Amino acid sequence: MALIQTLSLAHLPPSLAVHVALYQEVTNASFLQQQLLLGNSDFEYAFIDASVILSPNHLLAAVFRAVNDSDNGRLKSRNVHSEIVFALSPNNNIATSFRTFGILPTTRSLLVVKISTNPSITASSISQHLSATIEGTAIEFSKDNISKFTDIKKVKKIYKIGNKTDVQERKNRGSEKGTVVGELDDKKEMEVVILGMMALRGQT
Amino acid sequence: MIALGLEGSANKLGVGLILHPPKGGPAQILANIRHTFISPPGEGFLPKDTAKHHRAWVVRLVKQAMKEANVSVDDVNCICYTKGPGMGAPLQSVAVAARMLSLLWGKELVGVNHCVGHIEMGREITGAQNPVVLYVSGGNTQVIAYASQRYRIFGEALDIAVGNCLDRFARTLNISNDPAPGYNIEQMAKKGKNLLDLPYAVKGMDCSFSGILATVDSLAAKLEQDTTGCRDETTGEIITHEDLCFSLQETVFAMLVEITERAMAHVGSSQVLIVGGVGCNERLQEMMGMMASARGGSVFATDERFCIDNGIMIAHAGLLAYRTGFTTSLEESTCTQRFRTDEVLVKWRD
Amino acid sequence: MSASVFSPPHLPPPFVNTVPPPTLISQGAEALLYRTHFLQSTHPCALKYRPSKPYRHPTLDARLTKHRILSEARTMVRMRKEGLKVPGVLGVDCEPAHGDNARKGGGGWMMMEWVEGQTAKDLLVAVKETRKSCGREEVLREQVRNLMHRIGTILCKMHEIGVIHGDLTTSNLMIRHGAQQPHGITDGHAEGHGRANNTSGIETEPILREALVNGEVVLIDFGLATSSIQDEDKAVDLYVLERAFGSTHPEAEDEFNEVLKAYGESSRGARVVLKRLEDVRLRGRKKSMIG
Repeated sequence: MALIQTLSLAHLPPSLAVHVALYQEVTNASFLQQQLLLGNSDFEYAFIDASVILSPNHLLAAVFRAVNDSDNGRLKSRNVHSEIVFALSPNNNIATSFRTFGILPTTRSLLVVKISTNPSITASSISQHLSATIEGTAIEFSKDNISKFTDIKKVKKIYKIGNKTDVQERKNRGSEKGTVVGELDDKKEMEVVILGMMALRGQT
Repeated sequence: MIALGLEGSANKLGVGLILHPPKGGPAQILANIRHTFISPPGEGFLPKDTAKHHRAWVVRLVKQAMKEANVSVDDVNCICYTKGPGMGAPLQSVAVAARMLSLLWGKELVGVNHCVGHIEMGREITGAQNPVVLYVSGGNTQVIAYASQRYRIFGEALDIAVGNCLDRFARTLNISNDPAPGYNIEQMAKKGKNLLDLPYAVKGMDCSFSGILATVDSLAAKLEQDTTGCRDETTGEIITHEDLCFSLQETVFAMLVEITERAMAHVGSSQVLIVGGVGCNERLQEMMGMMASARGGSVFATDERFCIDNGIMIAHAGLLAYRTGFTTSLEESTCTQRFRTDEVLVKWRD
Repeated sequence: MSASVFSPPHLPPPFVNTVPPPTLISQGAEALLYRTHFLQSTHPCALKYRPSKPYRHPTLDARLTKHRILSEARTMVRMRKEGLKVPGVLGVDCEPAHGDNARKGGGGWMMMEWVEGQTAKDLLVAVKETRKSCGREEVLREQVRNLMHRIGTILCKMHEIGVIHGDLTTSNLMIRHGAQQPHGITDGHAEGHGRANNTSGIETEPILREALVNGEVVLIDFGLATSSIQDEDKAVDLYVLERAFGSTHPEAEDEFNEVLKAYGESSRGARVVLKRLEDVRLRGRKKSMIG
């Protein structure tokens, strides 16, 4: 069985549950991507390559924006699920965002998001479908598991986060003082900057 | 006590007589008459011609006011005149008349700040206690609030005054200056419906209008050139002169309401008083009212008798100062084009 | 002053669903500031809501609201990217709605990180109170200078990347609690609404020391910010702070010099700005007007 985590995001109506699953060692990414490209309506999911996701917050901020845009009739892509993938993007090119954040034939670790857009969509219905179609190992959607797959270098490149951020400076300062400024701080700072860029995407 | 007030800082010559009852109570307006120098369409009023107009009319107006008020020279306590700010030549003509009356009748002179005149008259007529004041006219754009015996300027136009912006656009469109260019723009704006994009220039509590004027002027020029008609980008309708007036008003008034609201939030007041010639504009009053009521407050405005430059406000503010012992000696009875509102010590308020 | 009834406008979706409802912290002329949480109730955040202004033409209103929210958010994201301490932007909504929510009207919002701490204003007020009772005035003064130094440095960095704050006051400088800071000492609020603590001088001294010496300076409220690299604009920005400081904290005017000193030492161009500040002081901001 798949490990589906059902969340309700603050500010969104409680009826609008967000279901998230995380897979590792996925072997049929090519098939899954194909279903999206074919527009197979059974596969209305946000399939996201977990290597470009920094943290649960990173993913959920995209979910929040996509749902809010959907509620306000402002979807730029096909549906709320494709919009989640697009919402991760720092720029306005939808196709590029799918290639950057969406599932690719090479994807090994996969995040799946599904919004309960109608009452018939439940955790168990999703779980059944995913178990039957995804070839891989379901693991818990947690901060630690997410960070296991994050390719920090890639994320930095995507969001064009250079060395100017305070992270570097704080490290310097930290070493002066002889305290350890851990990876935690670094990631948190990155997350804040990324969330800001996502929030500004497409706002002209 | 009775004061005679003479105003002529711009193209209106005003003479007023006011009575402050000895035991307090509201001031009584004994006379408030005005004669306006109106320039032909497409032209503004020049200092020289305006001064000539004032000289030609001042004696007649004073006589008429005294007659209307049914007072004699003995009843008058002081002669109040506009010291500034305003246009030099017209101010001088009226100052000369004031000195002449002072010497002739043996009465003390009181030089009055024009802006303070507007504020005090507005407070008297509307009963607004301690409002934030928006003073908008052909020569001034200021947001003012009272604090420790000064009318302090919180925000102002950094270039041309809002009334000047409207007047000059009236010239661009060759609109009549009778009764006033701003009035005619207001009437045209009522028929406009397409809002065009104009610059919006607010910086904190200050604002500027010259960029807006340049843009709307160039739009008018484009309309003039293009005989087939320019169309609005969103509605596809042909843009009219009325649309230009409408867009200009909507934009500049939104700016004025915004800086006023910021000052109100700053000083914690919910009352707003609009004075000055542009204050007659009903759309401005309406917009200000909407803002004030959203803040749980209200807007106070006066009609054209008091909004537009007049002699009674000079008489009123002058008499307030006179009652605190303030007079202007003959030697000091000059006038000045520059005279900031916050230079006046407001001794008559707590 | 008559007490006016100022009922804040209703928050737009999605905040109609928020449990518990956002708490109003402050109301300015254009924006309302709420405390709420981001995606989980454990993650506090600030919500700045710019309601639609009914007095404005709807087209103009939408244009202005959008422009202002975006320009503020852009400035903050840019600064954060450059490594300057400002609240991170978490979410922005300034587009008109279509479809079912179209009737929600104009207005827009921005969610940003919550800054746990107090404003420089409240901190300085607390210092003033403590100074009287603690009898160690010079020590406190030195600590205030320490804080002023950090403020000067961050302001110089901000100007270096071409950001003019536009509304520098001690209410728009937050001092974030240090990591070692015990919790529950002050009710810190972002955007100039922290409350000073009321404990007596002797007790508060170590707490003050911690904030003065180790508190992180965070710039807030970029609603009036602009982009400029002109010395004149930078000098005016500093002048605004100097004036605000002088009227709010006259007792600490000497210490304020430390802001300018640190500013001048922080970059090569900063000295020119300080020179320009002298001119700005002489001229004042306001011109003499023609009637």
